[in-house]
Amino acid sequence: MNSLNLLASVDFTTVGIVLAVVAVIAIVFAILIVTVSKLCAVKEDEKVKEITSLLSGANCGGCGFKGCADFAQALANGKTDISECSATSPENKREIAKILGIDAGDTEEKIAVICCCGGDGATDKFNYVGNLSCSAQVSTMGGKKACSFACLGGGDCAIACEEKGISIMDGVACGDKKSCVSCKRCIKVCPKGIIHLIPKKAKVYVACSSNEKGKDVLSVCKTGCIACGICAKNCPENAITMENNLPVIDYKKCVGCMLCAEKCPRKTIKTL
Amino acid sequence: MAQFLTLIVSAVFINNFVVVQFLGICPFLGVSKDVKSAFGMGVAVTFVMTLTCLITYPIYEYVLVPLGIEYLEIIVFIFIIAAIVQMIEMALKRFSPTLYNAMGIYLPLITTNCAVLGVAELVIDKAQMASILGITASSMNIGFAVLYGLFAGLGFTLAIVIMSGLRERISASPVSKHLKGFPIAMIAACFIAMAFYVFALI
Repeated sequence: MNSLNLLASVDFTTVGIVLAVVAVIAIVFAILIVTVSKLCAVKEDEKVKEITSLLSGANCGGCGFKGCADFAQALANGKTDISECSATSPENKREIAKILGIDAGDTEEKIAVICCCGGDGATDKFNYVGNLSCSAQVSTMGGKKACSFACLGGGDCAIACEEKGISIMDGVACGDKKSCVSCKRCIKVCPKGIIHLIPKKAKVYVACSSNEKGKDVLSVCKTGCIACGICAKNCPENAITMENNLPVIDYKKCVGCMLCAEKCPRKTIKTL
Repeated sequence: MAQFLTLIVSAVFINNFVVVQFLGICPFLGVSKDVKSAFGMGVAVTFVMTLTCLITYPIYEYVLVPLGIEYLEIIVFIFIIAAIVQMIEMALKRFSPTLYNAMGIYLPLITTNCAVLGVAELVIDKAQMASILGITASSMNIGFAVLYGLFAGLGFTLAIVIMSGLRERISASPVSKHLKGFPIAMIAACFIAMAFYVFALI
């Protein structure tokens, strides 16, 4: 009964007016929007869409762009190079290169390694007290380590790593080969610049960055490279050359026999 | 002339939409990490606010009031704001891709920005506007409404640019770990609000 009364009390003229007003406004704006969208139509680049779908979609930002879509746009415009992306698989990179009509180039998968194994074995030149992050430490006389190429062990790279693939062990940062997606975040935050990319298939790497002479390294570090050159002499493929008191491994020649790691008297060459 | 001065001081400082009336807090905290994007957001909001006032005021005054359906104001206003933002977005994409990219997601965000709806609601409230501007309610017109929208937007820009400047400094300062990021931003916002509150004493 009550509900019937309620229905009878509804003023249908008002309802009509309300509906009419809202409908008119809706239609007017619908027409306006359609007109504006026709006037302002922008051709979405098909290329960009295709490239975006082929990219990894990790949005890691390793390429320096705001995400995969932004990177795809830059690729299509020829502003960047596909090798900047580390997260996309080589097959997809080749596909993208085909779309762009360019050579895929060096699309080898890479991983980041921390080229220092000093840690607690590297002597301190003073007792550091304060903020433990590397960026803070380095502002005080370049850090506490006597070797100016040493990892400070503050763990800025470990914090930067989204994959949680870096841990600090015995005062030095250690990367985990499996979890690395080579986003280069750790490389960007390392104030010492001792993190480098090497091919994923590499078996060995030189865990020292010191360009100092052997004698000087010897006095400050237990495990640093003393540039004895034994690795270079023993390499059956001649893949190792000595440059600036450090062995440089040519990963194109390296066959992964691990002889260098075995012969290294200081165990500076590490296996992966 | 005195009226305009009152309007400007009122809209920008005394009744600042963000730090005094606490409207549009989401972009104020969300888009204030660097000065450049904060300024872009401020310009976008100013533009939308002005246009909104220009369109909503006559629709309220000449459509809703004569028909006696003022209670539809919120539905109609949201509708209009959404449509305006949509059109601006399309126009920007076509005519200024640089600005479009710079604004990015902020432009659609304005659709649901309560500061824009707030200004549309405020300018139709004649008694309130009259007391703010020191004029009689009957002399309120569309000119005042649009100007108020413009300067309310500039007030928003001012607040968000100050905030982003502060946050840029804060991000480079040693802040203790438990305050890092959002908490310290809230504290900074609080101080800005207190500073603006002094204008209410004028």
